[in-house]
Amino acid sequence: MRKSGIIIIKGIVQGVGFRPFVYAQAEKYKICGSVKNFGSEVRINAYGDNFEDFLIALSKGTPLSKIDSITIEETDFNPPNGFFIEKSSSGSLSGFIPQDVAICDECIDDIFRNKSRYKDYWATSCVNCGPRYSIITDVPYDRERTTIDEFPMCRECTQEYESPASRRHHAQTIACSVCGPELFLLDKEGNPVSCNDPIKHTAKLLDDGFIVSIKGIGGFHIACTEISAQKLKECLGRTQQALAIMAEDKTILEIADAEPLDIELLKSPQHPIVVLYKKNRNSHPKISNLDTIGCMLPYTGLHHLLFAELKSPLLIMTSANAPGNPMITKTSTAVSKLKNCVDFHLTHNRHIENRCDDSVVREGYIIRLSRGYAPKRTKIDLGKNCILGTGPELYSNISIYKDGFSYTSPHIGNIKNPQTLDYLENTVSKFKKLTDAEFDIIAHDMHPQFLSTRYAMRLSEELGVETIPVQHHKAHIAAAFEKRDEPCVGIALDGVGLGDDGAIWGGEIFAGQINSLSRVGHLEYIDMPGGDLATRFPERMLFSFLPEDNISELLLSRGWKDNEVSILERQIKTGFNVFKTSSAGRVLDSASALLGICKERTYDGEPAMKLESVASAGTPEEWNLNIYEKDHCSVLSTKDLLKHTFSSIGRLSVPDIAASVQYNLSRNFAKIAISKAENLGIPDICLSGGVFINHAIRETIRDEIQKAGLNLIINREYPFGDGCISYGQCIYAGILSDN
Amino acid sequence: MKVNLMHGAGGAVFSDLLGKTLTKYKNNNAGGIGLESLDDGAVIPFGDKNIVFTTDSHVVRPLFFPGGDIGRISVCGTANDLSMMGGKPIALSCGMIIEEGFDIDILEKIVASMDEALLECGASLVTGDTKVLEKGAIDGIAINTAGIGIVEKPVRDNGLKPGDVIIVSGTIGDHGLCIMTTREGFDLGEQIRSDVAPVWELVKSAMDAGEIHAMKDPTRGGFSNAINEMAEKSGVQVRINEETLPIRNSVRSASELLGINPLDVANEGKVVMGVSADDAEAILKAIKKNKYGKDAAIIGRVTEGKSVIMETSIGGERFIEAPVGDPVPRVC
Ligand SMILES: [Fe+3]
Ligand SMILES: [Mg+2]
Ligand SMILES: [Zn+2]
Ligand SMILES: [Zn+2]
Repeated sequence: MRKSGIIIIKGIVQGVGFRPFVYAQAEKYKICGSVKNFGSEVRINAYGDNFEDFLIALSKGTPLSKIDSITIEETDFNPPNGFFIEKSSSGSLSGFIPQDVAICDECIDDIFRNKSRYKDYWATSCVNCGPRYSIITDVPYDRERTTIDEFPMCRECTQEYESPASRRHHAQTIACSVCGPELFLLDKEGNPVSCNDPIKHTAKLLDDGFIVSIKGIGGFHIACTEISAQKLKECLGRTQQALAIMAEDKTILEIADAEPLDIELLKSPQHPIVVLYKKNRNSHPKISNLDTIGCMLPYTGLHHLLFAELKSPLLIMTSANAPGNPMITKTSTAVSKLKNCVDFHLTHNRHIENRCDDSVVREGYIIRLSRGYAPKRTKIDLGKNCILGTGPELYSNISIYKDGFSYTSPHIGNIKNPQTLDYLENTVSKFKKLTDAEFDIIAHDMHPQFLSTRYAMRLSEELGVETIPVQHHKAHIAAAFEKRDEPCVGIALDGVGLGDDGAIWGGEIFAGQINSLSRVGHLEYIDMPGGDLATRFPERMLFSFLPEDNISELLLSRGWKDNEVSILERQIKTGFNVFKTSSAGRVLDSASALLGICKERTYDGEPAMKLESVASAGTPEEWNLNIYEKDHCSVLSTKDLLKHTFSSIGRLSVPDIAASVQYNLSRNFAKIAISKAENLGIPDICLSGGVFINHAIRETIRDEIQKAGLNLIINREYPFGDGCISYGQCIYAGILSDN
Repeated sequence: MKVNLMHGAGGAVFSDLLGKTLTKYKNNNAGGIGLESLDDGAVIPFGDKNIVFTTDSHVVRPLFFPGGDIGRISVCGTANDLSMMGGKPIALSCGMIIEEGFDIDILEKIVASMDEALLECGASLVTGDTKVLEKGAIDGIAINTAGIGIVEKPVRDNGLKPGDVIIVSGTIGDHGLCIMTTREGFDLGEQIRSDVAPVWELVKSAMDAGEIHAMKDPTRGGFSNAINEMAEKSGVQVRINEETLPIRNSVRSASELLGINPLDVANEGKVVMGVSADDAEAILKAIKKNKYGKDAAIIGRVTEGKSVIMETSIGGERFIEAPVGDPVPRVC
């Protein structure tokens, strides 16, 4: 039995109450010594009869910590009297930064309890909750390297901070109404509104139908009640897009069906937006015209105080930004950019150092990897090269691989906007500093026009390092399949990615090991007349899918002009500015257009999302689709799919046809994947690509794979969509360069 | 590696070929501005003046299109490149490569059209060369012209300064969309006409009205390519205001029907210039007096930084990128 030693614990041990936890355990087990934080590890000099029990207790960690390893070295120090917490110093940074955490129940209690010194204080937090990533300027995470440092602790806060018995012992974000950041209510021009209680006043304004921007943890929201939903959408120029709501759990459960998993997620430390099915698909049409609604619980003291005053049961809470631009983090920007939309601003003077949008989750699958989940750290061995993955273009984030860990940034967005590209470049610099990375390799998408590709080229020239292009859907599969030494069959059902053959891919089946995936199946190539124009107006694709049918008449009956139709027909005939695509997104969009559900895409994924929403009320019919062999690939005929769709109009209800489109696309494509897996003797089939957010498609494919007795593999830690691309790029480039 | 058609489309792929192969001459400068600058033309000091010298080859299809023909382009292309250096076009040469079996009537029409354009420029075609190749060795006809002009103070394409104002001398995208719609047989109802024209008179009146810091004709790769080159070579950011960009309705609707960005296609009678803000109104006024400058407009401004940014009508921003060959779809 050991009685002493230096315990070295590596992992996420900063800002998660680890040292106070160690202190408490030391007291409990009568251990003498000290604990010190070195960035991504803590070192504990421990001496006492209960050393082994102490060690077992430590290995459990705190709710927010993540322990990668515990090692023990011998020591011959003289035990001090008692146990001490030493000041942090920098060390290796593989533990990285803890994420922002929703306010904990004890802190909620503190702000509503009479005589509590935190009563009504909006920025109450403790060692288990509060902002983290959004306020750090550097690591290790200590108060002096956060933006809270501007607010020196009052005497009482200092006492709590120093008291080992307190829940706020070494809570870096400790603050109270005496010493901490303050709230301000401003009018639309940015002038102070005089009031006694900004929260109470804001609640009244919201109930009266005003639109208010609210500064939160990682950025500003625009908030309003349901009566102002339409007005808000119009001034944002997003009349079709569903908005997320914030409400207390009882309201959410009245509006939507939540499975136990959903409730667990809603209440998790991350408090993401959880996409739920509405109880009545036609309810709250101004908030969401789909069968689903994004819901989140209040996640800061401010939110809780606001809801305590608010008469309306729910608030619409949408990120404050121009479409495609990054979320606003500064009061001055909110005032200048939101003029047309917002009547008041509820803001505070705690600086947001790092922007972090709300995360979005559906059925336990992450759609947007951001607040609470990111920076996302994964232990993974990709060799000794340090790699930057610059991601895709539209739903982008970045990842860095270094020394056995990958770090993925929060959601960045559409980097075709200059501001968002700036945000991406800044995120790279910030992450480079926080992880102390020196890139050896920059991995990027194969698309030469993606701004992330151009950025990768520019950076590689500056740094004099190698670049590795990664095919978009191979990056998807690399991110999805964790057993990198074994072969898999990977199904990518996705929007758009440039393929190895110069065509636009997006419905692909690969087989092999991650570094040598070969394409063994795909959706049929279809003409995309006008390139991206066909994505915006999916009716343009109908000629390509249904060349033999009378599409001209259909389009004319829907308001197309004669010459528009004849030019489109001619364009397909001449092949002028026409591209070939196997994208599943374009198939779903086209079906949506054909069924008259959606003819213009005004936000990402709109036609397919609306198709799914209509389909969920229908029952699918089974169609056997033509599958043929071409260039060593099995090809699923999507022309055949749309032919069935077209001929079912009038015979079946629109929901039934929509359901059949999704069902037969997935079932037939799964058949190809299964036969490839069986022929090659591969037991694992993994899924990636934004289309798998679609419940019916994912579950149909799951059923088929399970019926065939094969393993279905999904990486729930990363999004199905392009939020996994930068991570996949690092994996692909890492394996490639390490061999 | 072999040359492919992407290399001929201008933009980044062409730049690569240009940088790595086509500019590898050690003897590249005759004393003034040489090949190394990749400007619209070369400048050779001559006494207290400068000779401007440039060359251009033309293979446009169809040979005759609404608003012009290959002959007019051959003269205007070279004369305009001279004008872009601030040089008055003086004399041109003409090399023709003709396919066996080419119709002499057509050749006559081409020559007449060239002569008409020369008259407009006030330049002469003073020397020439003709080769005939066997059938199939070339598609019809290719015309190369070279030209010299005279200038006292050359205008470069890299002289944009923060605070400058960007002027375009007329509507954008006419030539490119005219050629595409004519060649591919798209019937748009309203005919789109090429803007092919000599711009020397227009340029001269602008130079007389104020100081031009940088100038370029937005030919291959269109306005997007020209403005990006100017911004990059000058080390500045250019911000374009979308609402002020002059684009004909017919051009806009054709581009919206075909998925072609009118900013990415060639113009053959337009100038993009950066001028000091103080002179902008006077220069604009002078340009507007010219028959090819009626639709001229102030479309943007120069700031510190990099890249070219479009400010959209709804308060958004997006990049104007130099086209890379064909625009491959990228929206998810
Ligand atoms: Fe993707
Ligand atoms: Mg030129
Ligand atoms: Zn707490
Ligand atoms: Zn305090």
